[in-house]
Amino acid sequence: MESVKKPRVRIVGEEKVRLKKSFVKPWLGIKYLFKKPVTIKIPFERIEPAPKYRGFHTLDWKKCIGCNFCGQICPARAIEMTWIEVDGKIEKRPHPKVDYGRCTFCQFCVDVCPTGALGHVENCYLTTSGLEEDLELYDWVPIDPKKVQELNEKFGDYRFPVERITFNKETKETTYYLRDGTEFRFKIIGYGLKPPAAARPKPAAKPAQKSAESSKKDESSKTEEKKG
Amino acid sequence: MADLEVPKELREEAKGHDMYLHPIDKNTYELFFGPQHMATENFSVILKMDGNRIEKAIVNPGFLHRGFEKLAEGRPYFTNIALLLRICVPESDVPENIYSMAVDEIVGWEVPDRAQWIRTTVLEMARMSAWMFWILGFGNEIGLYTAGQWAAAYRERFMRLFEELTGGRVYHIYTVPGGVRRDIPGDKWLRQLRDTVEYLKGKLKDFDEILFDNYITIERTEGVGVMDKKFALRHAVTGPNLRAVGVPYDVRKDDPYYFYPELDFEVPVLKEGDSLARVLVRRYEMEQDLYILEQLLDMGPPSGPYMVQDPRLKALPRFKPPKGDAYAHVESTKGDFGAYVVSDGTHKPYRVHVRGPSQSHGVTVLEELLKGARLADVPVILKTLDNCPPDIDR
Repeated sequence: MESVKKPRVRIVGEEKVRLKKSFVKPWLGIKYLFKKPVTIKIPFERIEPAPKYRGFHTLDWKKCIGCNFCGQICPARAIEMTWIEVDGKIEKRPHPKVDYGRCTFCQFCVDVCPTGALGHVENCYLTTSGLEEDLELYDWVPIDPKKVQELNEKFGDYRFPVERITFNKETKETTYYLRDGTEFRFKIIGYGLKPPAAARPKPAAKPAQKSAESSKKDESSKTEEKKG
Repeated sequence: MADLEVPKELREEAKGHDMYLHPIDKNTYELFFGPQHMATENFSVILKMDGNRIEKAIVNPGFLHRGFEKLAEGRPYFTNIALLLRICVPESDVPENIYSMAVDEIVGWEVPDRAQWIRTTVLEMARMSAWMFWILGFGNEIGLYTAGQWAAAYRERFMRLFEELTGGRVYHIYTVPGGVRRDIPGDKWLRQLRDTVEYLKGKLKDFDEILFDNYITIERTEGVGVMDKKFALRHAVTGPNLRAVGVPYDVRKDDPYYFYPELDFEVPVLKEGDSLARVLVRRYEMEQDLYILEQLLDMGPPSGPYMVQDPRLKALPRFKPPKGDAYAHVESTKGDFGAYVVSDGTHKPYRVHVRGPSQSHGVTVLEELLKGARLADVPVILKTLDNCPPDIDR
């Protein structure tokens, strides 16, 4: 900045800025009565969101490595890591769960994702019908981007891809009722970076070394959790 | 049950306070102006009136206090962008830019030319859309609703351009330390921006007809809320309000940043210091902003990366700048906007301080200017000072 030369300030003369007051001129605005209005008649007309508009998230579950970078960068702390079981198989790494009651749609989580698993689509409508069960709708583990695109091509109104989410407290089973009628079930076993008891690997032949290592890992994960 | 009665000493003490509601005299009364009034936006003014004249005005801000500066200390460096831009809603790119500039200086990054070009363009677009927002407010206050409606429609064009560039309409979250988050979407976007600039150039004449040349505007603003040079400098007035009293201070000229040294533009200055001068300075600055945007488009975006190449950026949540501190400021439509960032070497800033222009415009200056004004002049003085209540409270 020091090398930059300081330009001289050129001051505008008063006669250039001052305008003339007039009675007649304001009436010239009437010509706009005969032009096409700018306003849009919703719902008969609508604006498409721009490509790459920052909307809802998508998650490629195969690519996600559960590093919690998204949870650490989130300014609203909307992301919580969850351990998931699909068809009796426990996922090896935790996946982010996004709460749209807190999310600010800054998409820093998408920027920091090291594998490109977390992405976003243009869908942006956050309205609900006001039922109590709808309140649980906007707290989800994002689904595959291909599925969302498929739904967008089918409906094309940029709404939330899931119609209803139910949670069974006894079996801890979550069901997503997608907009095209298909259902998607999985179990949420636990929260946080530390794996729950069911997901922990079984103790191997050499217990002494292994347990020391695992305890170290647990500690590190704990500290990360606190910081995040 | 707790004893809810206020002790006698406290009651006596409260009577001496400015905010204390005195029993109504024969000739004076108290009027609560705002926050439901459109001119005040998000703060209120308590007016002690003598008939139609204001004897004393007490500004009552604090409805929007969210503690940004303290919150920023508890979050990683890049995360703060999504927080600090809420300080000034109509032109949210200004807080983004001052914070990013300060962090750039601490780390010692040289921001690539392309990123600097994009940042300059975004700042000028934000200025232009903020002017449109100001016309919407000012036009409504003096009863010329038509101008406000037009301005809202023209602001929509800039919002659409921002949407395509940044992915957000009002809160762009676009400028980050080290550059910008996305590249320009393509030549089509540049063409659209040029079309919008050309379109608005024609529309400025319409605004002249309906708003600035209007008999009503001049009658309502001339000689209202006059401040002199000495008063303005003592109260740290900046921006168009300072230029309306005859001081040619513009951060873009006096402490140039980004591409501004290479650009050719004028600084409008008037001497009167009344509301009309403040309006006309803004009117001429709109023209200058369009001229700057035109020059930037003629220059074209320089080739190269839009973000600095640094291995530290691969782990953003744990990004640690070296120890140090930096201050950076830019010219916004409200005035001189600055940020002071102190780093202690960890992944969170030690201190973030924001210097906003609205503290002086909206509190100290406003209280002085309202003395002796008529009730009908209150919205005019408020809107021509153009303060930003979220910036007062922070």
